[in-house]
Amino acid sequence: MDPSEVEFLAEKEMVTIISNFSLDKMYLIGGDLGPFNPGLPVNVPLWLALNLKQRQKCRIVPPEWMDVEKLEEIREQERKEETFTPIPNPHYMELTKLLLNHASDNIPKADEIRTLVKDIWDTRVAKLRLSADSFISQLEAHAKLDNLTLMEINTTRTFLLDSLNSMYKLRASLQPQPAAKGHHY
Amino acid sequence: MADAFSEASDRSEDDSQDVMTPAELIAKLEQAWLNEKFSPELMESKSEIVECVMEQLTHMEGNLQRVRKGDIKASIHRMEIDRIRFVLSSYLRSRLRKIEKYFPHILEKEKSRAEGDPSFLSPEEFAFAKEYLANTESYLKTVALRHMPPNLQTVDMLKAVPKPCLDSFVFLRVHERQENILVEPETDEQREYAIDLEEGSQHLMRYSTIAPLVASGAVQLI
Repeated sequence: MDPSEVEFLAEKEMVTIISNFSLDKMYLIGGDLGPFNPGLPVNVPLWLALNLKQRQKCRIVPPEWMDVEKLEEIREQERKEETFTPIPNPHYMELTKLLLNHASDNIPKADEIRTLVKDIWDTRVAKLRLSADSFISQLEAHAKLDNLTLMEINTTRTFLLDSLNSMYKLRASLQPQPAAKGHHY
Repeated sequence: MADAFSEASDRSEDDSQDVMTPAELIAKLEQAWLNEKFSPELMESKSEIVECVMEQLTHMEGNLQRVRKGDIKASIHRMEIDRIRFVLSSYLRSRLRKIEKYFPHILEKEKSRAEGDPSFLSPEEFAFAKEYLANTESYLKTVALRHMPPNLQTVDMLKAVPKPCLDSFVFLRVHERQENILVEPETDEQREYAIDLEEGSQHLMRYSTIAPLVASGAVQLI
């Protein structure tokens, strides 16, 4: 899966905006939105929030977890635990990136948040690499991956799955098979 | 108020067998999209969902024709349409890619399908697969086979094209709790063991182990 497609899915996450225009309730195929009133908060999907922001029609309210103190706590927790800790949003990385790139003026301490999220990400991806390594070396057939986000899975997907498949094929050709089932071309 | 109420009750009668809101429909399409993207084999055709989504899109586009340009509402609707259209075409494209990759096996499966069982291909996809087979065969014939000695002039497509590898590993998320899923051992020294799939949990395992659960919607590939 292309990272941009994971980002596409992340754009469905709801965020709060404060619009500077008024508009009646809208009936989109995917659900109702609005009504929009100047100065009043309203929940919209991120794709719309970013578009309105680019047209300077709204201010984006940062998600509750996008806060230096909360993120520091998560970072410490993530470094302490060996397993993956629950993360406040399944698309935390994409949301951070999109919001900081397009609406950094609405997010207090944007630079600190960028660094914190990057730290959390790095810690988690390092764990992911370690567990992928042990998964392969122990020839496991099943792994539980709770709390892992789609973007994290996506960073190892191609490499991990292709390696597992190649190893499977190599092993299969080592074991004598009663009826030649594999392909030999 | 009375009018709105009677309209709503009319509608619920019409849709009594199939109560799916447009939002649920889009969610179904997205599920089918991700499943198709990650499963090693071609999934059952979701022509019904595709048709309903197309209907929604055409309807919405029709409405937009009447709105003047530059209207903010129209631009929001248009963005949503573009997003849905992207998922829809990505879904159909990934199906076509698999048909091109595994066409002999897919057609074979379609041939052996029992009467009344749901088809794996939409009528259009079926026509595409047949044409793809015919074109490949005639291409091989004109380019090489007719120059071969007579006894080597045929190719069995089923043997020439590799089968989808159902033993591939996949990532998945559980929608409905499942008990006693048998995990087959990787080596002869290991023993098989059973696991429970808790709702909301995520796993990495072989596609063949959970293929029926993907088809039934109990688990979602991610």
